[in-house]
Amino acid sequence: MSSAYHQASQRMRRTPYQTLLALLVTTLAFFVAIVFFLDAAAAHKILRYFETRPQVNAFYKQDVVPKPQDVDLLRTKLEGTGLVESFKYVSKDDALRIYKDLNKNDPLLLEAVTANMLPASIEVSAKNPQDLKSIAEVLKSEPGIDDVRFAEDVVQSLLGWTRSVRTSRIVLAATQIFIAFIIILWVIGSRITNRREEISLLQLIGATPSYISWPFVVEGMLYGMVGSFIAWCMSYLVILYSTPFFAGFISEIPGLFPTVVFMLEVLGGAMCLGALVGALGGILAVRRYLKS
Amino acid sequence: MISYRGVSKKFGTIVALDDVSFEVDRGEFVFLTGPSGSGKTTVLKLVLRELRPDKGVLAVDGHDLAKISTSQLPIYRRALGVVFQDFKLLPERNVAENVALPLQVRGASQADIAKAVKQALEIVGLGERAGLFPAQLSGGELQRAAIARAIVGRPKVILADEPTGNLDPKTAKSIVKILLDIHKELKTTVVMATHNADIVNSLSLRVISLEGGKVIKDSPRGKYE
Repeated sequence: MSSAYHQASQRMRRTPYQTLLALLVTTLAFFVAIVFFLDAAAAHKILRYFETRPQVNAFYKQDVVPKPQDVDLLRTKLEGTGLVESFKYVSKDDALRIYKDLNKNDPLLLEAVTANMLPASIEVSAKNPQDLKSIAEVLKSEPGIDDVRFAEDVVQSLLGWTRSVRTSRIVLAATQIFIAFIIILWVIGSRITNRREEISLLQLIGATPSYISWPFVVEGMLYGMVGSFIAWCMSYLVILYSTPFFAGFISEIPGLFPTVVFMLEVLGGAMCLGALVGALGGILAVRRYLKS
Repeated sequence: MISYRGVSKKFGTIVALDDVSFEVDRGEFVFLTGPSGSGKTTVLKLVLRELRPDKGVLAVDGHDLAKISTSQLPIYRRALGVVFQDFKLLPERNVAENVALPLQVRGASQADIAKAVKQALEIVGLGERAGLFPAQLSGGELQRAAIARAIVGRPKVILADEPTGNLDPKTAKSIVKILLDIHKELKTTVVMATHNADIVNSLSLRVISLEGGKVIKDSPRGKYE
């Protein structure tokens, strides 16, 4: 293995322009792949944000003021299902405050309403909007609950859209990784074509197929790893420079911009994938040549 | 050492070798002569198992080449040293690295490689040129480097395919002298295909003459036909 690495690095050093071209091509392929991946990750965050917006609102009967322990019991019961993203109790006083806030420009409406006239309620959002219906069923069976509401048709429509967007992003990212693989295959293939005579000579002096193949496999891995590392650096720079621009209109979505830890995970993943794609590209290209 | 028994080889409708039979003993120096297309290179390529015969039996050192499997082929080829007319030195490797190749493919240690390469380069008189690249060498030096590469693994047989074809007469003689010295000192079997009548006629060694894929003459102290 160390001999293969030595040979691969020596070949790369001694043909610097070919190496540079090969690195440039693989870097660009991985850059687009990483950008598509980050776009898919951001799209996932945005979709998650909108998916958790719909809520089930459960209104208590107007004359019922639930005890804090009853509310806590209901919270525990709902959270125990594992379906709940957030749970909020809105007391009669809270409801009045909300009402006043909503109608602050209409004093006539404010004068006529007191806290007693408004029902206490519970607002529950789900981790997965498909579970809102189940949560609504649980709430309907609770004593003291008068009415349970959630926009079922809107949720179904939202789910359809998010599914399409998510699938298209995954397909785009996977396609780009496949394109990167084909590009590495082409790069290694052209390197092998340039080294036809060397390979023929090695075969004639008694080199085994693995002795001939390994340096190309290692070369493919190096292109994949170095290319993905440079591509990652480029994409991180793009993120750092574009963050202030995007923050202006999508700042309300929490955790949208990638953290350092997330980017390091992306780096690790990209380099592993780069090495894998490079090695596979090298194996396939050299095997095809040796067979021919 | 090398045994051709009724070997024939065709490329499509072209007959490259037709029922060729001869034996080369261990430690012998043999010239293969004949015009272009007479089958000299095919004889060497069959020994190297670059090609397979269509008919007949070809054995080297007692081993029937037809029975050598793909996985055994690299091991078999390590017992042979090959010298080509166009040298086939790798341009990105310096002389020492080119000469080291046969030992590297065998997985020899760096110390053994360094020692053997130094010896081989001294035998061909290129000890001072070890660090130069092929582009920096003359034609004669390139061929000497190729011979050093062929002998570095101490092969039983050296196959030389027109090693003087690209060289001036004086350099050509010096290359053949090196091959003769190796043959004498290391007791290596040498089979050399050549067009060079002067060299063949000056040495009075065994000559196998080919024409149209057939052996037309096999003389123990032959001349160029």
